[in-house]
Amino acid sequence: MANMVYLGPEWSEEAKKRLEKELTPENMHHVTSSMSNIYQNTPDGKEKYLFIAFDDGKVSQFEVGEGEPPKAEFKIIAEYETFAKISRGELGAVRALTSRKLTLRGNMAKAMRLAPRVDRMNKVLATIPTDY
Amino acid sequence: MANESDHKYAVDVNKRIEVIQAEMKARDLDLYLGSRIRTMSFIVDAFVPWRSYLVIPADGLPTVFTFVIDATRLLSETWMDEDHVRGYFGAGGAEQIDAIQYFIDDELGIKKGRIGYETGMSTYTAEGYLTHYEYVRFAEALPDFEFVNSHDIVDGASLIKDEGTMNRFREAGRIVDEGQKAARAAVEGGGWKGMTETELGGIAALAMRRAGSVSEWNFAGLNEISSGWRTGLGACTPPTTKEFAAGEALMFDLHGMFKLALGDHSHNYLLAPATERQRWHADNFVACVQFIADNYKVGASPGGLITALGDFAEDRGCSDFILPGVEHGIGLFGDEWRVGASMDVPIPYWTDPEHGYQENEMVILAMQYAAEEDDIGFRYENPIIIKKDGCELTSKYPLAIEEIE
Repeated sequence: MANMVYLGPEWSEEAKKRLEKELTPENMHHVTSSMSNIYQNTPDGKEKYLFIAFDDGKVSQFEVGEGEPPKAEFKIIAEYETFAKISRGELGAVRALTSRKLTLRGNMAKAMRLAPRVDRMNKVLATIPTDY
Repeated sequence: MANESDHKYAVDVNKRIEVIQAEMKARDLDLYLGSRIRTMSFIVDAFVPWRSYLVIPADGLPTVFTFVIDATRLLSETWMDEDHVRGYFGAGGAEQIDAIQYFIDDELGIKKGRIGYETGMSTYTAEGYLTHYEYVRFAEALPDFEFVNSHDIVDGASLIKDEGTMNRFREAGRIVDEGQKAARAAVEGGGWKGMTETELGGIAALAMRRAGSVSEWNFAGLNEISSGWRTGLGACTPPTTKEFAAGEALMFDLHGMFKLALGDHSHNYLLAPATERQRWHADNFVACVQFIADNYKVGASPGGLITALGDFAEDRGCSDFILPGVEHGIGLFGDEWRVGASMDVPIPYWTDPEHGYQENEMVILAMQYAAEEDDIGFRYENPIIIKKDGCELTSKYPLAIEEIE
């Protein structure tokens, strides 16, 4: 499989497919929540978002776009390169948060409890052959 | 399912919030930012030991922000739901100031207005007023808000205790009495020989834990135990490894906690052989305490009680040894040191001597006797509930200073 452009339409389609297939309600502990990743300083200069929502552990919405993202329980804001490093496994999400490379808006206590499920999601996304 | 015990100790937090919000509206406040331990206890109704903040909007439910490591435990003990128990952490967007700024901005949608906050001074370290650094950071993060010192809103709302709160204090009183019984049993019949103040503090703590206490609350050193010359040192004696000795006075000031209500009872003994001079001091002290306990009632005032005590002690010839005070405030975990809630007082953050006690107000009847030249002193503390024609002592341990062999 050829590499896909990170956050491009093809990558987005593949990401949705893999998440729906590999994240089961059981291993997502039937979570109902949503998050928006806000990408600043992307290579084409635009601000982009990745929005994902889970309903009872199933991916119910997955969307990549520009501009204002749908309202989500958690909003995570960072430079494009920071998200890319996390996806490539070069930077841990907690390290990024504690060094202020990531900014989280939302209920931190709940976010901490959901962190393992987000890691699970990121691991799936990391399997997509990607050009950053 | 609620049982009878739950009902007995139930408090109406929604009513407390309504009272606070009504006062916020009267003062044109859009938000209240609480940071004191007493504010957390009053609204969260759970043990909140870490630095925390309570955001109360003018309408709707409050939200507490605590150190994230304790957020899950707190959630399991408070009436508040997951959306209203938040954690802060040293992470981008999640540290104290950011988390609250984003919450106000994103979730409450309040962009400007007036914020009531808590600042001032107190006699104990752990009060929890907003620090200067926190104030500056919040003011920078929320530039379109005016910050107004408003802690007296919570002070006023918490002044008169409801039935569930009084029942909690009654139970805390029963618990410290169990500690006093265990302490007495440990020292009588020569049991005091070789025993240290710290050991006695531990024996009492175990008895109180067995009786249902969850903490010996640490503002002044857990259980305060003193003996001999240390009994005359004043009103704070964390226990030491000093051993008890024949011919000394003993003072056991025991602290327990039940559903955030603080039990606090001090009891005194003389270890035989007591001298006539020691017995005279002891009898003076018992008489003075009884005199004050007999004079608490609705409409009495701190200044009036102190004046009356001074006259009483003068008549007995012991006024040189009675410290000028008869009480301090008591509240749910936290402290209500000064008596009353008014800020219109002669000396800010101290008790108003003209404060008129109201029915179901609570204070700790607290008296101190110090005769340093005789190496002896006594302390009495007992949380009391003010009643129309008197007061109710929450500790029922008999007022007396016995001589123990």
